[in-house]
Amino acid sequence: MADNPVKATQRSPHLVYRHNRVTRLTHWTNAIALMILFMSGLQIFNAHPNLYWGNTSEPKKAFLSISAAQDGDDVRGYVELYGRQIDTTGFLGVQQGVLGPSARAFPSWLTVPGYYSLAAARRWHFFFGWLFALNGTLYVIYNLAVGHMRKFFLTFSDAKKVPAMVAYYLHLRKTSPQEGEYNPLQKMAYTSVFVLLTPLVLLSGMAMSPQLDVAFNWLPAAFGGRQSARAFHFILAFGFLSFAFGHVFMVLTQGFFNNMRSMISGWYKEEVPTVIEPPVKAPPTETVIAEESKISQEYTESQIQTPHSAAPAAKIQTTPPPTAVDAALSTPEKKAEKNEEPKS
Amino acid sequence: MKNLNPKLSRRKLLLGTLQGTGLLLLSGCEKIFDGLSRNDKVQSLLELAEHGSRRAQRLLAGRDKLAQEFSAKDISPKFRSNGNPPPITMDYAADAKNQWTKWRLEVSGLVKQPASFSLTELKSMPSRTQITRHDCVEGWSVIGKWKGVRLEEIMNKVQPAAEAKYIVLRCMDTDSDGTNYFESIDLIDAVHLQTILAYELNDQPLPVDNGAPLRLRVETQLGYKHAKYIRALEFVASLDKIGRGKGGYWEDQGYEWYAGI
Repeated sequence: MADNPVKATQRSPHLVYRHNRVTRLTHWTNAIALMILFMSGLQIFNAHPNLYWGNTSEPKKAFLSISAAQDGDDVRGYVELYGRQIDTTGFLGVQQGVLGPSARAFPSWLTVPGYYSLAAARRWHFFFGWLFALNGTLYVIYNLAVGHMRKFFLTFSDAKKVPAMVAYYLHLRKTSPQEGEYNPLQKMAYTSVFVLLTPLVLLSGMAMSPQLDVAFNWLPAAFGGRQSARAFHFILAFGFLSFAFGHVFMVLTQGFFNNMRSMISGWYKEEVPTVIEPPVKAPPTETVIAEESKISQEYTESQIQTPHSAAPAAKIQTTPPPTAVDAALSTPEKKAEKNEEPKS
Repeated sequence: MKNLNPKLSRRKLLLGTLQGTGLLLLSGCEKIFDGLSRNDKVQSLLELAEHGSRRAQRLLAGRDKLAQEFSAKDISPKFRSNGNPPPITMDYAADAKNQWTKWRLEVSGLVKQPASFSLTELKSMPSRTQITRHDCVEGWSVIGKWKGVRLEEIMNKVQPAAEAKYIVLRCMDTDSDGTNYFESIDLIDAVHLQTILAYELNDQPLPVDNGAPLRLRVETQLGYKHAKYIRALEFVASLDKIGRGKGGYWEDQGYEWYAGI
């Protein structure tokens, strides 16, 4: 069984089982759902490409509008934000088609479906809205049950380390402040997605539903009115988009193949030599100590490129050269951590 | 090395996956989703969400909860109209001039006592006034003050048969092809306290643009359910033989019958 971490670790000591089946399944379901939700959402927005604050959409009170206007023989696209007009011809507002230019807020290559159909876009949106919510629920319940959630929940002390982590990524700091599986920046990103973005995007979406507004009169009011809820829903969608960009950027720059492999097959390549049977029998001799410190020295250097696993290295660097006892002590801890996760 | 081959194939698999993903995202994406959007099987799968939404939302809303009612200061300066232009027949225009003296609301189908009502008769029945928000499927909202007769009052007069499940609303307006507008709601929404046949908007007789002489207000659903220019109500057990079988003008063109979201 590939899903048994202990056996597999023995099979190849350099690979660690990082993402179990539930994580991988929910991750990719989520990725597809978010992409379709975003693109079908833009199509729905195209039906009325204006945003307002409040309950109603009084003409000329939109704070954001995407429109097309005739300019001589030309049709130009404009985005207007709080009265400031930006010419966006070629991208937003107008699109060149077979029959000439046509008014279209977001271009067809950004929407699902590409052709104009509010009805079809709504079908995609609501199906994947349900999928997104159910998939997220499965993820949260599972990870609460196995105790994984707390590993990436941002605490106050994590929050204080965020600047240090940014400095580390910008090569302004040599050591990563990471402790545990997730670094402070990851924790901040994931926590804000779980605590802010996801609940708010779901609630603002539901606040647009007349029937749910009957069920919960306070729901649109909580956002400042139905049109405000619509505006929040739109803005939050771009919050997800920026998270996705940041996420993909990190994957691309922090070991693309390794990260992709770990999210597809579960296996992540750690540069750490995994000691399966820790040598605890005899007191260490001088040569063993020398060897051990040499290994950890290599380990430290190689880890600078892969910040995720750099935490133990950082710990080692600040302490005197580790002994075999240190190695023996740290290994079961690592093992225990690994054993906790994959139980699919 | 023993591990070399598995690693290579894994790399190939990864590269293949990435290439596939890239192609899907960049060039094929639009075509794929367009194809899927026109595929009946995919569409019926996506329709599952509509049934899920209807069941879940109705469970949460129950039967007695009301849509938010606003105060007079919230009323929008202009109640936007949408959809087909008003009916253009001579009869409609002449009747509009004569304060709808010829117009009658015909009620038929699976009812014990088919009946028809003049506008005066409807206005003499107990009325309900409500200031509510109107949400269009396109995304915009307006607030207006409506006065009309509760649909349940009509039901009490005509006595629907036990097998009646839906009310089909027949309208006088047509699209550019001459197809008449029609809509349908089920009896759950029909007996909702705020479901009315409205003959007044903002203390004025219902304007032609907003559906004169009579339109539906069903506050649990989106604007396209609120049929305008009503001429008849028909109680039916099934929507299969109405129009193209989806229960409404827009439903026949792919919009959901359940428009509570």
